[in-house]
This record gives sequence, structure tokens and C-alpha cells, in this order.
Amino acid sequence: MSTRRILKAVLIDLSGTLHIDDTAVSGAQEALQKLRSSPVAVKFVTNTTKECKRTLFERLQKLSFDIHEDEIFTSLTAARNLVDQKQFRPLLLVDNSALEDFEGVDTTDPNAVVVGLAPEHFNYDTLNKAFRLILDGAPLIAIHKARYYKKVDGLSLGPGPFITGLEYATDVKATVVGKPEKSFFLEALRSIGCQPEEAVMIGDVCLILPISITTSARLLLKQINIKGFGIVEFRDDNALQSNLPHSVLYQS
Amino acid sequence: ACSVLVMAEWCEPVGRVKGVLLDICGVLYESGDGGGVPIVGSVEAVKRLKEANLKVRFCTNETQATREKFVKKLQNLGFDITVDEVFSPAPAVCQVLKERGLRPHLLVHDGLQPEFNKIDQSNPNCVVVGDAAEYFTYKNMNEAFQILMGLEKPILISLGRGRYYKETDGMKLDVGAYMKALEYACDIEAEVVGKPAAMFFLSALSDMGLEPDQVVMIGDDIVYDVGGAQQCGMKAVQVRTGKYRPCDEQHPTVKADGYVNNLAQAVTILLEHLH
Repeated sequence: MSTRRILKAVLIDLSGTLHIDDTAVSGAQEALQKLRSSPVAVKFVTNTTKECKRTLFERLQKLSFDIHEDEIFTSLTAARNLVDQKQFRPLLLVDNSALEDFEGVDTTDPNAVVVGLAPEHFNYDTLNKAFRLILDGAPLIAIHKARYYKKVDGLSLGPGPFITGLEYATDVKATVVGKPEKSFFLEALRSIGCQPEEAVMIGDVCLILPISITTSARLLLKQINIKGFGIVEFRDDNALQSNLPHSVLYQS
Repeated sequence: ACSVLVMAEWCEPVGRVKGVLLDICGVLYESGDGGGVPIVGSVEAVKRLKEANLKVRFCTNETQATREKFVKKLQNLGFDITVDEVFSPAPAVCQVLKERGLRPHLLVHDGLQPEFNKIDQSNPNCVVVGDAAEYFTYKNMNEAFQILMGLEKPILISLGRGRYYKETDGMKLDVGAYMKALEYACDIEAEVVGKPAAMFFLSALSDMGLEPDQVVMIGDDIVYDVGGAQQCGMKAVQVRTGKYRPCDEQHPTVKADGYVNNLAQAVTILLEHLH
């Protein structure tokens, strides 16, 4: 018999849930407004590795979403938090547009390697540089390990393959900080002072937080009514282990 | 003197060893700008082996140049070596491609291209990856990836699977890292031609007309030279030159039959125990 707790926070996926490229998902703006009229905290989570928070924020503003920049939590944010926590001086293999999220980080005499989606850095010379650092003991931090991504003209290699190559060459395992790592969600919740049992995630990814929520919270969520998406609820950690697709609480 | 006796177990029983398989990079010489540098004593060591009437073959995963160019470079450094004595992945993979009717998209160093002049490369139905070095650009990797993803049956053939090697200006990623990258991207498994594939070692043995227990392998890669040779039934010795790192001597799965400072020392020990 699981204890019922109050819903305190909602994590919302960005790409695919609130917007698709530069178009808002129909009904999403209204849904968010309804959510705002309730006492839950909101955090927008995404795995982007190319865009800094400010760019994402500006795009969402243009689409008339009621959102604050510090409500955005990206895999870059997660990487930055880890670098700050451990006081690493990273070799940053990240896209130029993502560098803004690492402003203030000391990158001289690197003792760590951070890898994001950065085709301009995935060349022999730069990868050798990263390889030598890791061989000498520098930790390897992966923003995420996507195999590839879709571009207009076809599929393109993501950071995953190059991180795997570095792992193989150095016999070191990368620390992955982005979705769907558990640490990503826990870190997002930590930033709003919330426990997993007090939160839900709304998105198109299979999710991973054990939660139980009150009846009134269920009704609240029912009102939100985001078209086409389900809300994920896992009653316990076993769902995490079982690789089942998310069980849908309700679907509009 | 005591340690030399212990190290010589790989020469026992006396008279057993009739041939030697030598790795090239890290054993004979160190590659790098300007052609590379011979490792101290190695030129002499190869001569001594041949003068002792031992059969000598060279087993290399070198794929940045054709065998001809590569051997010429080594001859210029003073080595007694001919093309016929060298076993490298490119000729071996051409054989495989012909036998299986495969038309490759090549992700290889420019210098290796001529090895494939007689191979049909139109409408590729597989990807061959070698040590492309500076030709491992994102664009070239992506092209190989897209071709594999477009094949109903994606076939990736890797010329070796080494993790890294040492050049005069430092350690560098070897073909294995890029092979792994493509394996992960396409969710496939590569086939390996070259060390440590058993076929590769055995073709050299067959050429020498010797059984595995009559041959000693000498290399700098504990897993792919030493381990690979041991899996074929040969004794194998690791040199402390090239890509060798002290932690190799505590490798969790491979224990070399001997650890020597360099090729020259290996040859001295071997020749002392021949008769």
C-alpha cells in the first residue's frame, strides 16, 4: 500500500512536447497556463547539446510560452553542475553555441574531458588530444550518447559513437549526464528541492521516476489536457528495472 | 643471469624454435614525421635472426601505406626486409573481398588506396575501415556511417582493431576506436582482418611452413600481438618499447611468455638458447 504524497513539481520535456522546431505543439501554451495556476513548480528538461539555455528560452518566448530562463534544465546544465561540483578544468568538446553555458569555467591545463554534439571537434587531432588526457587519468563526461540525429539531408553521427571509441581506446567508462540517466532527473529535481515521489514527468520519453500522487493532483493533471501525450507514472523502482514502456496514467 | 634464465622459458625446449614472427611498429621502429626512427638494436637484431637461419616474417597492422612503400621506408632505415616477408591487412582483405563478392566503400588513409586498385568499388555493399589517421574527418566518418545505414545487410570490415599506438610525437588513436564508433552508431559488429584474427597469424605460419609451436611472436601490444599469437598456439614475448605501458605486465587476461626490454634483447636470449 503506497503512501500518497502531494504533487509538488512537474518536469516537462521540450522538443516534441511543447514545441517541434519553431512551432508550438497545439494546445501546449494553454496547458502550461493552466499548470501555472496551480502551486506546482515547473522545470523544463531537455537533452540538447548544441543550444545554450538562453537560445532555448528565446525560442520558447517567441512561441508565447510563459516561462522563466532559470526553469530550463538541460543536459548541458547537468554537465556544468558536475564540473563545478568536482572543480574540473575540462577540455570542452562542445558546439560553440553551447559554450555560453560553461562561462566562468576554468579550462586551462585540462584535467577532464566533456563531450557533447560537436562535429567540428570530432576529428583525428582533437580526439587524440582528448584520448591522451583520458589515458592519463582525466574523467570522461558525456552530455549524452545519442547514436545519430536527423538532419534535413539525412542521418548524422551523434556524440555517442565518438565517446564509445574513446571508452574503448582508454578502457574508461564515460559518466553520462543527460536523459535518460537517472542522475539527470534527480539533479533537475534537486534544483527545485523536490523528491522523486513528489513529481511527475510529461513527455514523449520513457521515464523513470517513482511517484504516487493524490487524487486532487490527478484531477489537476486531467485538466491540463495536453493533446497526444501521456503522463508517466511508475509506482515503484521495479518499473525502472523492467524496461517496460511507460504506463500511461491517462491520455487526452 | 637468473632473470635471463627465467625469461628463456619461451625458448624451451632447445631447438624447438625454427621461426620468428615480428611486429613492426613499436618493435622494429617508431613511426612519425619524417619517416620514423629505428628502435635501438633492431636493425642488427633482424640481421642476427636471419644469419642464425631462423625463418623470419613480419606481421603488421600498418595500413597507412601500401606494403611496397612501407617496406621501402624500412629498407631506407637499414632493415633487411622484403615485401614477400610482410603480412599486412590490405592484401588479406582484398582476398576476402574477392572471395565474397564484396565491393567496398573505403574509409582508409590515402596512402593505402593503391592496394585496392584492382577491386571494384562501385555501388558499395560494405565498408572497409583502416588506420585513416587524419582522413578520419567527421565528414568521412559520416559518409561511411550513412552507407552502412543504407545497406540492407550492413557489413563493416576493420583492418585490425588496435586501441592506440605510439608515434614519435605521442600516443594516437588506432583504427579500433573508429571501428567501435561505427559499430555503436550502426548497432552492428565489425569483422576484423589483420591481428589478432587467427587467420592472419596462421597465413604467416603457413607461408613459413611451420607449426605454431615452432614459432615465437614478438610484439608491443599485449592483447593483439601477444594474446592473439598465444591463441594460435604460439609462444609470445612483449617488448618494452613502442606502445608498451608498465601496467601491461599486470594485464588481467594476457600473460606474455616473456617480457624483454626490446627486440635486440629478445634475439640475444633466443640465440643463446638455440642449441
